[in-house]
Amino acid sequence: MSTTTLEKPAVSAPKKQKVMLCEGNEAAALAVALARPDMVAVYPITPQSSLVEHVASLIADGKMDADIVDAEGEHSVLSVLQGGALAGARTYTATCGPGLAFMFEPYFRTSGMRLPIVMSIVTRDGITPQCVWGGHQDAMTVREVGWVQIYCETVQEVLDTTVMAFRIAEDHDVMLPVNICLDGNYLSYGTARIELPDQSDVDAFMGTKDVNWHVALDPLKPMAVDPLTGGAGGKGPATFVRYRKSQCRGMQNALGVIEAVHAEWAERFGRSYAPLVEEYRLDDADFAIMTLGSMTGAAKDAVDEAREAGKKVGLIKIKTFSPFPVEALMRALSKVRALGVVDRSVGFRWNCGPMYQEVLGVLYRLARESGTVLPAMSFIGGLAGADITIPHFHRVIDATERLLDGPAPTEPVWLNEND
Amino acid sequence: MGRAYSTIAFDPAKCDGCGDCMTACAQAKTGTDDWARSRIQIVGRGNATQDAIRDAIEDATEKAFELALCRQCADPKCVTVCPAGALAKDGASGVIGWDASKCVDCLLCTVGCAYGGIALDEVSGHVSKCDTCDGKPACVPVCSKGALTYVTTANIYNEVGDWEDLFAPGLAGCQGCNTELLMRHTLRRVGPDTVLATPPGCVPGMGSVGFNGTTGTKVPVFHPLLTNTAAMLAGVKRQFKRMGRDVTALAIAGDGGASDVGFQSLSGAAERGEQMLFMVVDNEGYMNTGMQRSSCTPYGAWTSTTPIGAGCSAGQPAQGKTQDAKNLPLLMVNHRCAYVATASTAYMEDLYAKLDRAIEASKTGFAYVHVYSPCTTGWRFPSDQNMEVARKAVETNFVMLWEFTPSEGLRFSRSVDDPLPVTDYLKAMGRFRHLSPEQIEHIQGKVVENSKFIQRFSEQAHGG
Repeated sequence: MSTTTLEKPAVSAPKKQKVMLCEGNEAAALAVALARPDMVAVYPITPQSSLVEHVASLIADGKMDADIVDAEGEHSVLSVLQGGALAGARTYTATCGPGLAFMFEPYFRTSGMRLPIVMSIVTRDGITPQCVWGGHQDAMTVREVGWVQIYCETVQEVLDTTVMAFRIAEDHDVMLPVNICLDGNYLSYGTARIELPDQSDVDAFMGTKDVNWHVALDPLKPMAVDPLTGGAGGKGPATFVRYRKSQCRGMQNALGVIEAVHAEWAERFGRSYAPLVEEYRLDDADFAIMTLGSMTGAAKDAVDEAREAGKKVGLIKIKTFSPFPVEALMRALSKVRALGVVDRSVGFRWNCGPMYQEVLGVLYRLARESGTVLPAMSFIGGLAGADITIPHFHRVIDATERLLDGPAPTEPVWLNEND
Repeated sequence: MGRAYSTIAFDPAKCDGCGDCMTACAQAKTGTDDWARSRIQIVGRGNATQDAIRDAIEDATEKAFELALCRQCADPKCVTVCPAGALAKDGASGVIGWDASKCVDCLLCTVGCAYGGIALDEVSGHVSKCDTCDGKPACVPVCSKGALTYVTTANIYNEVGDWEDLFAPGLAGCQGCNTELLMRHTLRRVGPDTVLATPPGCVPGMGSVGFNGTTGTKVPVFHPLLTNTAAMLAGVKRQFKRMGRDVTALAIAGDGGASDVGFQSLSGAAERGEQMLFMVVDNEGYMNTGMQRSSCTPYGAWTSTTPIGAGCSAGQPAQGKTQDAKNLPLLMVNHRCAYVATASTAYMEDLYAKLDRAIEASKTGFAYVHVYSPCTTGWRFPSDQNMEVARKAVETNFVMLWEFTPSEGLRFSRSVDDPLPVTDYLKAMGRFRHLSPEQIEHIQGKVVENSKFIQRFSEQAHGG
């Protein structure tokens, strides 16, 4: 997979990284500054607000050279960035929950126009019931719209992945918008020690900006952007299908690019993350639990305790949710005999968690290859800011273990139902 | 490219037969007050003899008059029939000139002309005809009724005719649509260093952005969403500004997208002072999708979502739209935009003057131009009547032409005094055919109310 379309200096030893204490929203803002976008559009919404406040401060303080647009709503926020990207700008914004819902019309279109916009989703549960707290319902709801979506586990990972997101989005083999998902409340306001890379090292990592090489609004190269396409006659069907196929190809290309960019990040900055799917104590495990985002920390602690208690449990964390990392998941799932999937959102149609629903497709492919069907069950927890604690994960582990020699329940387990 | 010519236009509805024009002409051309020697003749209807002019005017009970004046025809019959080569059309001015040295006084030309535009001057013994006083006709400024105007719109054609038309030939607008004319004029004035946004509607519907790999526009052009034109265009402009490049950001949007679903982004961009020229083509509804109601649709109008109702033919009141139109340009005034103007395709010189100011204003702030564009298809009038409908809208004050800047306030660019009754406008199209007297009264009342309301803006501005 090509990630070398940009000329970059050879890797040298990174300068000393600044150690500091900050919340996830500030880490995201610092990462954005490091990536040097041309244009940032902002609109406040809980629990994202402090992120754009940090960005505004960085620009006002002269620590970031970007055009900031205080738009009148999320719909315009993303629209302004689309225009900017079409004129060649590197662009960034952040939103969540109702803001993402309001933004949906231009959001849907961003991937179709192949604009490499980076947007943090400080994930928030969906209304109604009215709530302002964390949950993955917002990001999950838009998982099928052609954006790359990457979930973070820690504040440091938020910082590192947000910088990487620009490289992934702008890669010529990808050219797709990227969401960095950080859990509302738990990561947005969670304060942790971070190491902040030096600007010159990030500049070397980022290479030369080249955003609108394929589609552009520029009087020097006049082009009609997004003419009416499709229909039943003429060149319509073939044109539209070619376009959609190239979008899907870009998504598939992203898997390799995400891996390559993470590898380069590790080489340059000394911090490595499993780019698609993390396997934790999985190699000798009989069964596994699956997690997404910040819940993973407590889950790993629970796995460690269960291991000490003699349970052969491992953990699979999905980092890249879109494109769905099918091959990496097949490799991980082939190591175990039962699976419990913990979602922080609801799949209303199937009465289960949406990640669980996606994994069922992988289990089908696995069954075709291995001849056996892996039993799996769905857990839903952490809705609307509820905590998924180590005791909750012990319930997950115990229930999943029972799948090894018992029937798989058809109903999901609601973890915080009696909290 | 050929030339177009200025012309003297006559509005019989405004003429009261005072004869001041004939006095001015006779004085200018013969040094006398003898109306019989005037080259412009106002004739009481049904009274054609020169001698009886004054009596006819004084006696005329209908107070309806006709004009006998040279039309400076493109294919002049007087020239064709002249056996001596004494008459010739001047290529530069368009005026048909008479050469005394060649004339044989046969008077065939007076027979050839259908307009009474060339006649015998019995005092001189030769024919005489209008020569437009070298482009400053003496008759026009003395007409205190506004019945005579010297139409110089041709100057626009002569000036811009050679500029590049930045739309391809053959845009697929409806027959008789003014919007294509407006688009072509606007873009050729704004020029090639432009990024054009045309949200869904008639403008891209006729092929400006294009279909399946073809495009009708020679500058960069894009489909925004119906909802986000101003925001997307703002992003484009900001990035070019950041790169130090002078690119004009131009939107040509419909009234539906601007006044309804796109109003938020329009309002936001105006409030932020985004540097662009935002032109709304107001055909008072969603015409491209089948003529549905927008908030710019006027009271009483039929649209496909404000039907008149089946009870209409059974004697029940016709329905149509039951609310008054939103006045979008006034809302933009209340954003204190750098420039706001209303314009009409029937008044192209006014439109061009406003375009110039809007383009200039868009370099530092948000410029908004609202152009009323009658829709032959949706308003239900013959396709050759578009200019006339547009003109009647203005002449009745149904539409008022004005411009606004924060420092100069609001100024009418065409007087709103002495409007024609609104029925002169309403009866020109089918969408108002069903109106009851009460509904017409409501519309006339609203026209007066709107006129007073905007006049107050104007007075406040001039009061400082």
